[in-house]
Amino acid sequence: MNPATHLFQAKVSGARRHEKWVFALFRFATYFVLFCGLGVFLNIVAKGSRTVFKAEAPFVNIAFLTQAPESLYLFEWEGQKREMGDREFRAFKAAHPAAAQVPTESYVYSAGGIFPCIVGTVLLVLGSMVIALSLGVSAAIFLIEYADDGPFIRFVRLAILNLAGVPSIVFGLFGFGMFVIFFGWNVSLLAGWFTLAFMVLPVVITASEESLKAVPKGFREGSLALGATKWQTIRKNVLPYALPGILTSSVLGIARVAGETAPIMFTAAYVVRDKLPWEVDHWSDFFFQGVMALPYHIYVVSSKIPQNEYTERVQYGTAFVFLIIVALIATLSIVLRNNLRDRYKW
Amino acid sequence: MIESPSALPNPNFAVQKRRLRFLGLTIDDTIRAFFGGNAFVAVVVLALITFFLFREGIGFFVQNRFNVELYRQAGLEYVDHIRRQADDHAALSRYLSDLRLRQFSILTEREKRSLADTNTALAPFDTFAEQFSASADPLRALLSDLTEQATALKTKFVVTEDRKEERRQLLAVGKLAEAAAVEIVAVDFARELQPLIAMLPTYQTANRDFARTLAELIERPPALVQVELASRLATFQRFTRDYVAGFPAIERAMAAWDYRQPVPVWHALTSFIFGRQWLTASFWQDWYGILPLLVGSLLVSLVALFLAVPLAVGAAIYVNQIASLREQRFIKPCIEFISAFPSVVLGFFGIAVLGQALRTLSQQSWLAWLPGFPFSERLNILTAGSLLALIAVPTIFTLAEDALNNVPRAFKEASFALGASRLQTVLKIIVPASLSGIISAVLLGLGRVIGETMVVLLCAGNRIAIPDFTQGVAVLVEPVHTMTGIIAQEMGEVVRGSVHYRALFVVGLVLFLLSLAINYVAQGIVRRYRISIG
Repeated sequence: MNPATHLFQAKVSGARRHEKWVFALFRFATYFVLFCGLGVFLNIVAKGSRTVFKAEAPFVNIAFLTQAPESLYLFEWEGQKREMGDREFRAFKAAHPAAAQVPTESYVYSAGGIFPCIVGTVLLVLGSMVIALSLGVSAAIFLIEYADDGPFIRFVRLAILNLAGVPSIVFGLFGFGMFVIFFGWNVSLLAGWFTLAFMVLPVVITASEESLKAVPKGFREGSLALGATKWQTIRKNVLPYALPGILTSSVLGIARVAGETAPIMFTAAYVVRDKLPWEVDHWSDFFFQGVMALPYHIYVVSSKIPQNEYTERVQYGTAFVFLIIVALIATLSIVLRNNLRDRYKW
Repeated sequence: MIESPSALPNPNFAVQKRRLRFLGLTIDDTIRAFFGGNAFVAVVVLALITFFLFREGIGFFVQNRFNVELYRQAGLEYVDHIRRQADDHAALSRYLSDLRLRQFSILTEREKRSLADTNTALAPFDTFAEQFSASADPLRALLSDLTEQATALKTKFVVTEDRKEERRQLLAVGKLAEAAAVEIVAVDFARELQPLIAMLPTYQTANRDFARTLAELIERPPALVQVELASRLATFQRFTRDYVAGFPAIERAMAAWDYRQPVPVWHALTSFIFGRQWLTASFWQDWYGILPLLVGSLLVSLVALFLAVPLAVGAAIYVNQIASLREQRFIKPCIEFISAFPSVVLGFFGIAVLGQALRTLSQQSWLAWLPGFPFSERLNILTAGSLLALIAVPTIFTLAEDALNNVPRAFKEASFALGASRLQTVLKIIVPASLSGIISAVLLGLGRVIGETMVVLLCAGNRIAIPDFTQGVAVLVEPVHTMTGIIAQEMGEVVRGSVHYRALFVVGLVLFLLSLAINYVAQGIVRRYRISIG
């Protein structure tokens, strides 16, 4: 023993070593999870960025981000291996009539880009969030500001809790049964919006409730004491302070909406569609058209076409773009929330 | 909450303002009602989900009963007695070829014999296997005859039903002449089934020959090249004797069979819940049994939880009790970030990377002691389960961390004051105090995993069969299909209103009820076992 130690120095006993080991085990579990998450993320990023980025200017593969998916054709021409997208190949055949006889290999969706999918996903997310936010915030206002505790409110809260646990594929079946068949909307944006909105409703309600609860009671009491009505109080003295919190927490809901595939499989998503969503004859057709969506496209390209070096590009590229979009949304929500936590302190 | 001024009795103020009323409601009342209505949406949605799942699904039981009834009336059930007999014989043949494979590998690998040499050594065995396989040929010929007859009868009946439906539709729109032109030939089952039943004596004769051939064959088995496989050959002999001993029972069942026997009403339900086959679009008979799908879902979820629970709970304890503030601020957002991973991307990762990686890992010789290793299926329960674990970890972590957070500080302080170490405090005070919360977190994680679709659809291998549990833990590297996966895969291809379509809705209903039950139990545990903080 070192003579310099004092009387109350912790002794390195067996129990202490044991403690150290157990804590190290817990720490290992934590970092193992982070490591796995990072591994998946880096794998997608590393392989996907090869499709999306290029070595020379403008460094971004603009065609991949702005064109529609096409079939990829592989063939040998004058001793060289050539690969072309559908349109390019047709132009090539027109220029060289002999090319029509060349044996080709083709892979669907493996050329071109994913622009319609990006557009479809953005439209689905925006629409469903508008619906979910207006329903969810109103519901939260009622639960926090108006409702007195009673059997009805407990029933509503139970319903919200249970709704949060319903599997996403069941929402898909429900949306299919109700919107697509019963309402006769067919596979459409509108059906997808409502299905997704109902799915994130519990998330939005819970997030809004938290934010409303965080506004101090004194704000409401002061306003009411000055003669304002209930609604005036809520509109002028509660919502403005709660709204930033509501919006940031709901962003996490957005990430969930954007990431789900199962609910839109039978309600809103098409495997392939030539027209872009705004190319409609009449404005009302806009709501009743199906769209391509990124998550569904990933499902299609990863399960319906073979895995090889040619198809891998579009598979990883799509997964990369999708992951980055969702990750950006999630990061945004986490950063915003942390900022907000520091800003508002009552 | 403060009572709103409007609720107070109206005193006589000097200045009075008339409130605008519409249908007896003031503006404030209307606003309140509007918000209340929005809150009610959650209840409405839940009710609508239940309603629409029932609306589309409930017809399944009627149609399935009809399906099962037709199975009996058209004589398919009768023929299936013989089919089962033939299938069992095929299984015995497979046992023989497995035995040959073992001998072959021992000869070539251990004794290093050449290929030609090995084949010569195995020639007597091959002759035996061929004789064994050929012994069932008369039976198979009979079976294929009967199959044709029964299928023809079934088709005839289905066509008649279609015609009836056509006439009904024509009558409904008032096209009487066309309706009368639709020719309907009533199917007389008794007459049509006559040739089928008349086959019984032929079958009995064939069966006797078959039994004799098998008995003779089995008495003079081939000499095995290796002595250590003798026990397997003995097992084979025993199986075959049992098989032959079962013949009279089959004949009795066939003789007693009657197409007029009514199918019980509950049969539509039991054949769904306890059905061991999910077989669709088959030429013979479709079966809608949920058992293989349920077993698949449960196995995948159990693997996921087995991996996720220690990691998630360990991480929650670490972050909440042990980690420094800076570490907490780093780890928590990271895990939240993992929860934002889209499941379809994880599924793609499973197909592109993880499946192959796990298979390569399983083929390493130093891991051969693990049950089920090496395996050849890239996509199986293990692959899907590991990815689902990554989905379950953030859910369980967040909820478990909340539960740990809710333990009052005083508990910890009291424990320290009594001289307990940090480890003792964590494991004996904090964790038991929050155990109800942790358990409900695990249950909610289970709900999340069972309901997950894309990962299992892409990575579970999609083979619709109950995996072979006799191989123990090795069952975990078999491919399965799941309830969520089957809905996602088949919903796009079915005809609206068909039995198959309705069966998928019933599977959805089962999932829905399962998730409600899991939620209910989780909430119950939290409520019941919450420690009182006083």
